[in-house]
Amino acid sequence: MKALHIAATGMKAQELNVEVISNNVANMRTTGFKKQRADFQDLLYQNLRRMGTETSDAGTIVPTGIQIGSGVKIASTARIMSQGSLEQTGKELDLAIRGEGFFQIQLPDGTTGYTRDGSFERDANGQLVTIDGYIVDPGINIPTNAKDITISNTGVVQGVNQNGTTVELGQLQLARFVNKAGLEAIGDNLYLETDASGAPETSNPGDDGYGSVQQYFLEMANVDAVTEIADLISAQRAYEMNSQIIQAADEMYSTTTNLR
Amino acid sequence: MENAQLVALSRQSILRNHLDVIANNMANINTSGYKSQNLHFAEYVMPVADGTAFEPQDRDISYVDMFTTRTDFTHGSLKMTGNDFDLALNSDGFFAVQLPDGTEAYTRAGSFHLDNTGQLVTAEGLPVLTETGPITFSVEDGNVQIAGDGTIATNLGIRGRMKVVDFEDVRTLEKIGDTMFRGEDPLPAAQVSLVQGGLENSNVYGITEVTHLIEVTRAYDATSKIVKDLDELRQQAISTLGRFQA
Repeated sequence: MKALHIAATGMKAQELNVEVISNNVANMRTTGFKKQRADFQDLLYQNLRRMGTETSDAGTIVPTGIQIGSGVKIASTARIMSQGSLEQTGKELDLAIRGEGFFQIQLPDGTTGYTRDGSFERDANGQLVTIDGYIVDPGINIPTNAKDITISNTGVVQGVNQNGTTVELGQLQLARFVNKAGLEAIGDNLYLETDASGAPETSNPGDDGYGSVQQYFLEMANVDAVTEIADLISAQRAYEMNSQIIQAADEMYSTTTNLR
Repeated sequence: MENAQLVALSRQSILRNHLDVIANNMANINTSGYKSQNLHFAEYVMPVADGTAFEPQDRDISYVDMFTTRTDFTHGSLKMTGNDFDLALNSDGFFAVQLPDGTEAYTRAGSFHLDNTGQLVTAEGLPVLTETGPITFSVEDGNVQIAGDGTIATNLGIRGRMKVVDFEDVRTLEKIGDTMFRGEDPLPAAQVSLVQGGLENSNVYGITEVTHLIEVTRAYDATSKIVKDLDELRQQAISTLGRFQA
């Protein structure tokens, strides 16, 4: 009787499902967060009677065999990279991406991280950095005397110097991937390039195939509370029903042991 | 008298297999594109040789045996996900997927992805087939729109059409795991209606499975009772018939 183990795979899968859902809900207010979804697949089948085998000398065959499955497995926790809604913050170094692309961030170990979280700051040297102090790539230096920083939809950063003339301070660039769902999340709203994502291609915001940058806005998480709660309910019920199977299998075992 | 016990045994061993089938359905209640199974029984009459061939005439004994696991191909409900590469079939038919050995497998689980080269693949990384083979998207393609009839359109124009196949008799399909089926002689689906940004839920109904579960456990109990009664009967027979009358 494999039922015990089959139901166990079901409970384990739903447990992971709840973990994924709870992480989505926990990050409901995380800037630039992209939700994940657990995808399931059935496991291998045991063919007790194979379809197509001959049942008589006359050449009659088994039309449909007997296949007993062995449960469920988690195929992937795919990240859904849809656009989150934009929220106005009124802070001049808050940037949101509308459409495709990621900001590039220089990580302390020299590698490049990618993020949709555009809540940037200036560090002591006037360098544009993330909340964690990592430098935004390509580097943009905003002198202390520059004020009224404007960042255009195409990523051109401009400021007004002490003489009142507008000067260009730099150009933001976005990176995009063939398979953005294949990026590896490393926490802190950052992603790393992987073999699955493909190599990044960079260009200015607003170019063909790239999103545009929106100053004074931040991108909210793309988590939809109603969907998550509905998924949570179905995951919990599925967990319960699988535990029912374990109980039933246990009862059948106990019936057997109480035969004598 | 032993025959009755053997009949009961055949029943019990089948019920255990039935429980396995129910457990597998239940485990896959949230697996998109999963099709539920049911185990069908058949009567197995002993003796197989002609009953009149023996003297004295044997009485036929009916055992129970597994007949087939029938897959229920009714459509599951549709769940909208908003993911561009999630495809749900609203009509009969299956998506075609290329296995590593070059053969095709068929699935209704349409949660597809792009790999690092931009090729449309399943969660396992197996290429999804269009009518002209696997398809690869590049940055220039921009947004991928897949129409209701399976036509794939991007910024570069029409790129092809999803391969959707159907079978003369879907009951001949073999489940091979990973929510895929193997089958022979696929025909182009007569009518294709697919939804981009949606997934087909599993067609397992919790209540149906729980009902089956109750049936199985009770039938198992009942059969155990018969075995127990038979045992007592035999015990009594031994003690009564074995009593020495002085």
